[in-house]
Amino acid sequence: MRDIKMEDYDMLVKINDERDIVVARQMVKDFAKRMGFSLADITKISTAVSELARNIFRYAGSGFIYIRENTGEEKEIEIAAVDKGPGIENVEAAVEAGFTTSKGSLGLGLSGVRRLMDSFFIESEVNRGTVVIVTKRRRTF
Amino acid sequence: MKQKIVNNMDILLEELHKITGRKAKWEEFLVSFMESYDSDAYEKKMRDSLANLVEEFKLSDIARGLDRIGEKIEGFPAGEVLRQVLQVADHALEEKNMVIKELKEVLAELATPTIRIWKDVVVAPLIGTLDSERAQSMAERLLEFVADTRAKVVIVDVTGVPLIDTIVGGFLIEMFNAVKLLGCEVVITGIKPSIAHTLVKLGVDFNMVTVKRDLESGLRYAISITEKEGKGAV
Amino acid sequence: MKDRVVTTIKLYNYLIVPVQIELDDSTVEAMQRQILSEIEEKAIEGVIIDVSLIDILDSYISYSLSETAIMAKMMGCDTVICGMQPHVALTLAQMGVNMRGIIFAQDLEDALSKLVKAREHS
Repeated sequence: MRDIKMEDYDMLVKINDERDIVVARQMVKDFAKRMGFSLADITKISTAVSELARNIFRYAGSGFIYIRENTGEEKEIEIAAVDKGPGIENVEAAVEAGFTTSKGSLGLGLSGVRRLMDSFFIESEVNRGTVVIVTKRRRTF
Repeated sequence: MKQKIVNNMDILLEELHKITGRKAKWEEFLVSFMESYDSDAYEKKMRDSLANLVEEFKLSDIARGLDRIGEKIEGFPAGEVLRQVLQVADHALEEKNMVIKELKEVLAELATPTIRIWKDVVVAPLIGTLDSERAQSMAERLLEFVADTRAKVVIVDVTGVPLIDTIVGGFLIEMFNAVKLLGCEVVITGIKPSIAHTLVKLGVDFNMVTVKRDLESGLRYAISITEKEGKGAV
Repeated sequence: MKDRVVTTIKLYNYLIVPVQIELDDSTVEAMQRQILSEIEEKAIEGVIIDVSLIDILDSYISYSLSETAIMAKMMGCDTVICGMQPHVALTLAQMGVNMRGIIFAQDLEDALSKLVKAREHS
């Protein structure tokens, strides 16, 4: 499993409670705003985080959302959602499986997250947990 | 050293010609170097003539040229001048990037004009090829415009779009769905036979929107439904 | 009435619901229960949910809204969502969210006229 170290990231939100989903999306919203993303992209990023945080809360009970700014040729935001929950048995199905927004269904909203972000990485092991890492580039116009 | 440059000018220019194929700019450079060397105006004067060199030649050729001068003329500060060349080149590159960015913005705006053509009716003629970045900023612009003008119908005319592939088709569908979430109808016009053919072959259909053959019939339809809606209001 | 999470305004047979709070999962569920019971108690024929203050609508919240609309329809009531912000609409569309059973309107005025039209047809 990919090892996510806290010191590599700028911000950390602990997901422990349903309220934390709201906290996470508000925090990432401010973070993306400071990075200079367009309003539409800020909304896309915070919506993606809302989905990731909910997945953590629903399926693992608790976990973390890590946020950082990657500077390179182009600025991008990177978000890692990490939990030590039951894991996903069939990752591909969870991501591909259209839009199953029924309660209790696995991989809720993951396909939406993938569509909203520029890159999407997922790693999951049964009984060990799940790591999802997503990024979005800041468009110049 | 100045005298040495003057004496060797012809040979030097011959050598430099071999490297870069031209010598006029080098001559200008050498002359202004001699004129300004040791003077207060040195930095500024050099910047101008170096900018000319940078504009004309590749950086690697300029470096080779300066080395060659250094070999021939004892005391010529080739390293120092090269450092200045890099500064000038950096500056020029920055300016170019700024221009490219501005042009991109202009292009994005030009390519997605939105016109309020009738009460409650907006026309968005799409022009040129769409990539994912352009399609996204276009969608953002159009949605803001629709929300601001409170239009009831948006006519998207694709007469000026040479090609619609699966990706662009997907973007258009997303944009149309977003417009409908605002409570606004979408009419698409101007689909050419070749585009209709590709779209169907690719499995893209626009069944969530109204399709009209051209802008004229699209507009007529849009006006008819907005007028009908007006009468039905409370 | 217990479990009231949102303010509602009854106008003729319509129920106007301006959502002025940040929606989390349990709030959106409570709102669903509240709207359905008000439809029954006040003999409502049309619900207007004004989301103009909402700046994030994720898949679960939009699914719940859509679910509410379908439930309301079973009770003979139409649902209109009005005032969605452009960037929220773009996000939902890009995620591929399908909000079935809902009529969309620009603002309250447009919502009322669309509801009247929907009632005429039914």
